[in-house]
Amino acid sequence: MKPNRLMIGAMLLASTTLASPVLAETVLRIDEVAVGELDPAKASDYADSILMFNVYDTLVLPKQGGPGHDGHLAESWTSDGSTYTFKLRDGVNFQSGNPLNAEDVVFSLERMQGIGQGLSYLFGGVKAEAVDDKTVTFTLESPYAPFVASLVRLPIVDKKLVMENLGDGEGEMKDWGQAFLSGNGAGTGAYTVKSHNPQEETVMAKNSTYFMDIIEAAPDTVRLRYGLEAATVRTLIAQGEHDIASQWLPPEVVTALAKDGAQLLTETGTGAFYFKMNTTKAPLDDVNCRLALSHAFDYNTAVQMIAITDDVSAGSPATGAIPVGMFGANGTEMVQAQSLDKAKEYLAACKYDAADMNIEVSWIAEVPLEERFALLMQANFQQLGIKSEIKKLPWALFAEQVSKPENTPHISQLFVNAVTGDPDTLLYGMYHSSTPGTWQSPEYLNDAQVDEYLDAGRTAFDDAGREEAYKKLNARLMEIAPTIYGFDRQSVFAASNRVKVPALSDPSKAFGLDGMGFSFRLMEMVE
Amino acid sequence: MIRAFHILKSNPLSLVGMILVLTITLCAVFAPLIAPFPDHNGAVVEFLNANKAPSAQNWMGTDLVGRDIFSRIIYAYQISLVLGVVVLAISTPIGTVVGLIAGYKGGWIETVLMRITDVFLSVPPLVLAIAMMGVLEPTLTNAMLAVTAMWWPWYARLVYNIARSEREEGYVLAAEVIGASSNHITFREILPNCLPAIITKMTLDMGFVIIIASSLSFLGLGVQPPTPDLGSMVAEGARYLPDSWWLSVFPGLAILLAVFGFNLLGDGLREILGVEE
Amino acid sequence: MTVAISRPPSPDNKPFGNFMSSILRLLWQRLVISVVVLIGVSMLIFVIARIIPGDPARIALGPNATAEQISNLRADLHLDEPIITQYGFFVADLFRGDLGISLYTNRPVTLDIAQFLPATLELVLIAGIFMVMIGLPLGVLSARFQNKWPDHLIRVISLVTVSAPSFVWAVIFMLLFAFYLPLFPIAGRLSDLYEIDRITGFLFIDTLIAGNFAAFGDAVRHIVLPALALALSGIGQAARLTRANMVETYKKPYIEMAQAYGFFPSRIANHYAFKPSLIPSLTIIGLDFAAMFGNAFLVEAVFAWPGLSRYGVAVILRKDLNAIMGTVLIIALAFVVVNIIVDLIIAFLNPRIRYSEKAKP
Repeated sequence: MKPNRLMIGAMLLASTTLASPVLAETVLRIDEVAVGELDPAKASDYADSILMFNVYDTLVLPKQGGPGHDGHLAESWTSDGSTYTFKLRDGVNFQSGNPLNAEDVVFSLERMQGIGQGLSYLFGGVKAEAVDDKTVTFTLESPYAPFVASLVRLPIVDKKLVMENLGDGEGEMKDWGQAFLSGNGAGTGAYTVKSHNPQEETVMAKNSTYFMDIIEAAPDTVRLRYGLEAATVRTLIAQGEHDIASQWLPPEVVTALAKDGAQLLTETGTGAFYFKMNTTKAPLDDVNCRLALSHAFDYNTAVQMIAITDDVSAGSPATGAIPVGMFGANGTEMVQAQSLDKAKEYLAACKYDAADMNIEVSWIAEVPLEERFALLMQANFQQLGIKSEIKKLPWALFAEQVSKPENTPHISQLFVNAVTGDPDTLLYGMYHSSTPGTWQSPEYLNDAQVDEYLDAGRTAFDDAGREEAYKKLNARLMEIAPTIYGFDRQSVFAASNRVKVPALSDPSKAFGLDGMGFSFRLMEMVE
Repeated sequence: MIRAFHILKSNPLSLVGMILVLTITLCAVFAPLIAPFPDHNGAVVEFLNANKAPSAQNWMGTDLVGRDIFSRIIYAYQISLVLGVVVLAISTPIGTVVGLIAGYKGGWIETVLMRITDVFLSVPPLVLAIAMMGVLEPTLTNAMLAVTAMWWPWYARLVYNIARSEREEGYVLAAEVIGASSNHITFREILPNCLPAIITKMTLDMGFVIIIASSLSFLGLGVQPPTPDLGSMVAEGARYLPDSWWLSVFPGLAILLAVFGFNLLGDGLREILGVEE
Repeated sequence: MTVAISRPPSPDNKPFGNFMSSILRLLWQRLVISVVVLIGVSMLIFVIARIIPGDPARIALGPNATAEQISNLRADLHLDEPIITQYGFFVADLFRGDLGISLYTNRPVTLDIAQFLPATLELVLIAGIFMVMIGLPLGVLSARFQNKWPDHLIRVISLVTVSAPSFVWAVIFMLLFAFYLPLFPIAGRLSDLYEIDRITGFLFIDTLIAGNFAAFGDAVRHIVLPALALALSGIGQAARLTRANMVETYKKPYIEMAQAYGFFPSRIANHYAFKPSLIPSLTIIGLDFAAMFGNAFLVEAVFAWPGLSRYGVAVILRKDLNAIMGTVLIIALAFVVVNIIVDLIIAFLNPRIRYSEKAKP
């Protein structure tokens, strides 16, 4: 990169043209929560996803502005339900210069399964085989309708480069190159890693040998900074020293920025904010009691709390268990609302006495917004004469506590999203009886009907069948109320006007997958 | 008493300190009567009144869920004062006894006790409390425990130094000659001579305990919401600078005012009781 | 911490070697005590950290870990052994310079500390310089104008500065001098504009090595507010102590004699009264300076200073045992080293200790 630019610069100087604006390197500055995990096999949160989607590529990409998937590293694919055969695109090279082969795809899958972290659970029971250099076959243990969608979470890693850089460890694969990949990129992606410090900053640069054309205006350099304070981000953007804030800024700060002229970018439709009730703990093991709390919650105020401007909000009223835009979602006529009368009716039917209850409402220390919802719940429950106690839990401790039902708080607040964009990855982990006690499932729900509909959603192969299964699931989940369905979440990012991000501002360009909107190659720097 | 009055009169600053401390204490004790919105110490959500700048109705503005900050500061003083009093009420006797025994007995008891004291004194006080709170559940009781654990060694060291010099004084030797028990000598003869220094230090320390406790909760390791606490109010509010400055500035000034009061009063007491710095 | 004097000053017939040997003896004694202290601290934190509820292995591996992965990690971390054995492993590793892997960053704790410590050291050092360069002169000034208006003003100001925790000053400074009057940057150590190779990790040095004076200036601008917020209560404390000790010194006969001879007040203050007054203040100033390693936790949080303290808070919240241990130990070590240095400075300055044979801590 550098010598090239120098040479061009020298040539332009020699020809004395006024070329400096063209030459000016464009820098995009964004921020996220620490830690940024660069190893794609361990990627799980938003920061990790941003890194993964830019440094690595996947076989398919979600279609922009609609359902379905397009080929990306794969040219085409066929399926008979339990085997999928992908034909790889020709002439794709890794950033190292190594050519992409079917072996790399097999290796990437095995590496993910071997390390067993991040989202590797998506690929349980999947086997891959390289048929020839450019053809790879996946065999599924049991049919799984949204398998193609899962592939957006299988970043393809440079096998040759990783094998050359194996660290200490036992077995044939030693450490699977974890030490190497935690600090270096080994993908085909549009951006290369220039430096990476998991707590401070990752600097990425445009990959000049990318297999697709990257638009000219895309940023030359991207600085992803970790763990900036809200007040810092707010001022940096106002002073023109920062470009896109993370979605975790408190709404008041985003509002202040919008008033100062910042643009608001949004990402919609893949997740919701849930207040999850521990269905194994008295008094919430009684469905009437859960329904009482569900009806006591002031949904309207909750949504007002996250409003940013008159027309942009960090969420819209929930219509049921499934966010609007997904299979099985209810229409807007079903918008959830507080009803104290109904709440009192249900409470009267509950086998426990309201006076004896003490509901433990937890909130995640890293998400200060949740404290407000906790206070709101406490005030709402008070109206029913139910006492409650607020408990702040750091994320790590929360994840540990939910592994046992008796340690799990009565109410846990969680933003859950579909990691592949498919409702299965949102709902199965939360409600199927085979996956209790993860951070997504502090309800410990065990309901035969729910299990049945969830399984049907996985095996029904046409969209109509899936729609029906999830419709039934939604109805059942409303009936047994394991969760207070707070609101459909919309991620809002305050941004400077130096950058245009069609994927986050134009619904016809949106990916419907969290983090994919941060594909830097599709952004345009204005200046 | 007359001397005290004269010193207070000639030292208007300590008088100010006295008035500050009394005002804050009275406010805390009678919080339900004084706070304009007494129910705002708990979980109240008045969303339409959230995040408002200071006004005639809310002198110090409202917080993010619409609670009156002035009322919450008054309630937070309750917590701060209770915490300070409890910490000092536990750590002073412990430290005093350790210091007296080490100072009067000498020998291996002195070595062991004072080396343990040194270990505690050798970690920056805040770091020890942070480390303890890091592994304990963040509750008021544990915060008191953590601060107490780091506080007693200072009294042990103070009393030890005095006791060691008093040990050689004539009145102690005289008491030994007439066969007084060592308990009698430690607690009846030496202790009274340590009291002025202890009382002065306790007054000054009220301020420091408030600072340390607020620092813990500033880091999220102290009292939990919805209980109002000055440190966590500053921490939470600092995220909303510069737009919503009242969220953090007023609780910060509240800490300053209380500690300033105790410091002024402590300085005055030091002069009245003739304690060296 | 005070230095007891056990013998009256001897006549000037002691050779220089004796001075050196007493300094060495002092150093030796302080080192032995420091080692005891560090062992004590490590045991204290070790025990507390092991009796807490919550399985560090499960926390580290995250919500999707299998039971087998957890038990493997527990075995790797020796978590199933008795606590004495665990401590033994810890000490053995420590002697090999190995503090274990941070479960939070997935990197060796030593690497993390090496990366974050310079930022904190730089901050604390600059704050210490502020404390001495501003606090002492204020104290001298205050004593010289004893009971006149400059004295009253300085006393009230210094009492105010010691009356608020450093995070309150940090918030106030940030609001006044970064937001309302944008004189200083609001966060971080260096602007993005500058890319400096982190050779030593100390930006003041690295920018100079790179010969980049603009970057040096930028680093200076970044450190002013955090260092001042950190130093402020120390400044007040130093001023108060210096004043109190100088007022005592002014009562000494030789000063009264100098005044009677008509020496300029400034000459008396600077030449005769200051040094003897400095020595008793130094111990406390040293303690205050060392305590800044703790208070840095608060200031770093406000100014997003990428130092050890922010790392410390992050690992404490995640119950990352190795990292908690490493951080606390390194801070205790810094604290102990600063105390030794202060004791040595006092010994050099104070002729009575310099010549006394038995300098007992």
